[in-house]
Amino acid sequence: MFNNQMLGVIDETTYKHSLQDLTAQRSLGAIPFAGRYRLIDFMLSNMVNADIRSVAIFPKYRYRSLMDHLGAGKEWDLHRKKDGLFFFPSPHLHHEYDEFGSFRQFSDHLDYFHRSTQQYAVISNSHTVCNIQFQYVLKRHQEVGCDVTEVFQDGQSLQIYIMSTTLLKDLIYGHSEKGYKTIQEAVEKESSALTICPYEYSGYAAVIDSVEKYYTHSMELIQPRFWQQVFLPQQPIYTKVKDEPPTKYGKHSTVKNSLVANGCVLEGEVENCILFRAVHVGKGTKLKNCIIMQKTQIGEDCLLEQVISDKDVKIGKATEAVGTAEQPLVLRKGLVQGELMNS
Amino acid sequence: MKKQCVAMLLAGGKGSRLSGLTKNMAKPAVSFGGKYRIIDFTLSNCSNSGIDTVGILTQYQPLELNSYIGIGSAWDLDRYNGGVTVLPPYAESSEVKWYKGTASAIYENLNYLNQYDPEYVLILSGDHIYKMDYGKMLDYHIEKKADVTISVIEVGWEEASRFGIMKANPDGTITHFDEKPKFPKSNLASMGIYIFNWPLLKQYLEMDDQNPYSSHDFGKDIIPLLLEEKKKLSAYPFKGYWKDVGTVQSLWEANMDLLKEDSELKLFERKWKIYSVNPNQPPQFISSDAQVQDSLVNEGCVVYGNVSHSVLFQGVTVGKHTTVTSSVIMPDVTIGEHVVIENAIVPNGMVLPDGAVIRSEKDIEEVLLVSEEFVEKELI
Repeated sequence: MFNNQMLGVIDETTYKHSLQDLTAQRSLGAIPFAGRYRLIDFMLSNMVNADIRSVAIFPKYRYRSLMDHLGAGKEWDLHRKKDGLFFFPSPHLHHEYDEFGSFRQFSDHLDYFHRSTQQYAVISNSHTVCNIQFQYVLKRHQEVGCDVTEVFQDGQSLQIYIMSTTLLKDLIYGHSEKGYKTIQEAVEKESSALTICPYEYSGYAAVIDSVEKYYTHSMELIQPRFWQQVFLPQQPIYTKVKDEPPTKYGKHSTVKNSLVANGCVLEGEVENCILFRAVHVGKGTKLKNCIIMQKTQIGEDCLLEQVISDKDVKIGKATEAVGTAEQPLVLRKGLVQGELMNS
Repeated sequence: MKKQCVAMLLAGGKGSRLSGLTKNMAKPAVSFGGKYRIIDFTLSNCSNSGIDTVGILTQYQPLELNSYIGIGSAWDLDRYNGGVTVLPPYAESSEVKWYKGTASAIYENLNYLNQYDPEYVLILSGDHIYKMDYGKMLDYHIEKKADVTISVIEVGWEEASRFGIMKANPDGTITHFDEKPKFPKSNLASMGIYIFNWPLLKQYLEMDDQNPYSSHDFGKDIIPLLLEEKKKLSAYPFKGYWKDVGTVQSLWEANMDLLKEDSELKLFERKWKIYSVNPNQPPQFISSDAQVQDSLVNEGCVVYGNVSHSVLFQGVTVGKHTTVTSSVIMPDVTIGEHVVIENAIVPNGMVLPDGAVIRSEKDIEEVLLVSEEFVEKELI
């Protein structure tokens, strides 16, 4: 019986310098991904699909966008009278503890942990993309009997931990005395008396903590053998939905090997791309290996290759923007390029 | 909680000319436009017009429609005061009061309307595809000091006999009304949208209920009676796209209309959004072998084949080497490989096996509505 056995904690406090072009105005978890989601949607949905009804999110930097996205948690079925979604910004900015799983951050909201009745806690970051079933990780955790279970893939930590809520509370209360700043420290320090068990996750998983990884994993996800592991009909990824009409393909449009969201109007050539909602691609325009975020308008006769375009970018007629696979060209949110620049 | 205007949406009809599509659901629940249900248009119009209190009268096969509507949140109609209320026929003491006609449906729900004691009642049907600001029609009604305002649209003369036809003075006052006349005197057709002053509506509904010879229908009974009794009826001229999708052919045509370069019905217009219950599926995947042109495709679709001049609803899979042309493929249809579909409507959830050919015979210009029996008999 897995009902209400676990609570979820999403640590959204880390800052990745390498993603600064995409995090100028938003936190990590709010970065748009896979055509219609934000990075945090994956972990959040995994929790909800494992029957976790109490989820606490600990944001730190520029979280307006994340707050706007999450609202009261309705789209994730977390708008509840009992438990539900909790949003815990820190009253102070603890610059010195900028690492994942910082107890200092959690200790600013002890009440949540005091009042929780769930026996176990799942702690994750906000930027790992996967479709994992926490019930199975919990089952293993209970069977083996370790203090902490950490989820790995090919030797890399996915920054997902399961432990008893009692242990988590102890670690949080005692963090200043014992000196464990983060979960990582608590499990890694040799002097630690905690038993740690690894759980090897074999499904698709991508930790998005740099622009290169954002780009590579996005391009990878266009392949059915990968997106089929993430978009599972019986374990859907939930997100805030907008009322967009279906996408319109023009008479001469050519779209190949791409993931396309709703509300787009496509009149040009699109190959190996991810197009978010309400993107316009003008006639004669060629897009290749690009990620184009919401409401970006690309005029006619343009050429874009290896480009990551943020939201609300306007690209005028006959403009070229070319990056490389190793260094994709990032167009910041709201940028106006080309002909329309001075109008 | 007094309201200025309450809308009553008639959604109880069977839409028998839509045959297989309405076997298990009422006509307003039928899918349209790649993402929507017919009722989304009227409900979105209410919401966008500022009408926050809507009674939806259901009767025929209401389950699909009722679960779809829920508490109205999709159309922003989940409100503390007012909002959406589904009004099915109900039993009173020992008798179930089935709705005998459009007027009877409203009459049986006088209690609902009494709750809000509105000044005006807007009567709508959930059968038509159009965008309209009912607020403007209400302003017109008030300005003309009318007892009833009927929204009218100019139709082609060759079609006029299908509609309730009005004749009106230059100032908009209606002088004649003929329901489906053989020889129409004008081409101003009633859209079935009425604004009544509440006290007058109440009075005439009660009168009509007592009349054993009445068919309890607005168009056939109430409106002619009001005209006879010299009440002030005004014609509100509507200009814009308006389609009754009551037949398989017209449903298909209306879907194809959306593909026109300058489609009259502007689905992409942000200032008058059409809301619906969003399916929340992954983005559509267009493979490297696929070709999609001149089409509307919704989320969750997976396309490996050729799609041309068609409308694909959410969750449709199109197999390799398959061609879909001039067709409407409704939600969650799975189309195998090497399939040919032309000029057809494929209803929800169907599975079309590899190699299937769905195409009308050469000389017949009719649209095919694919049925389960057809699939079993011809294709398996």
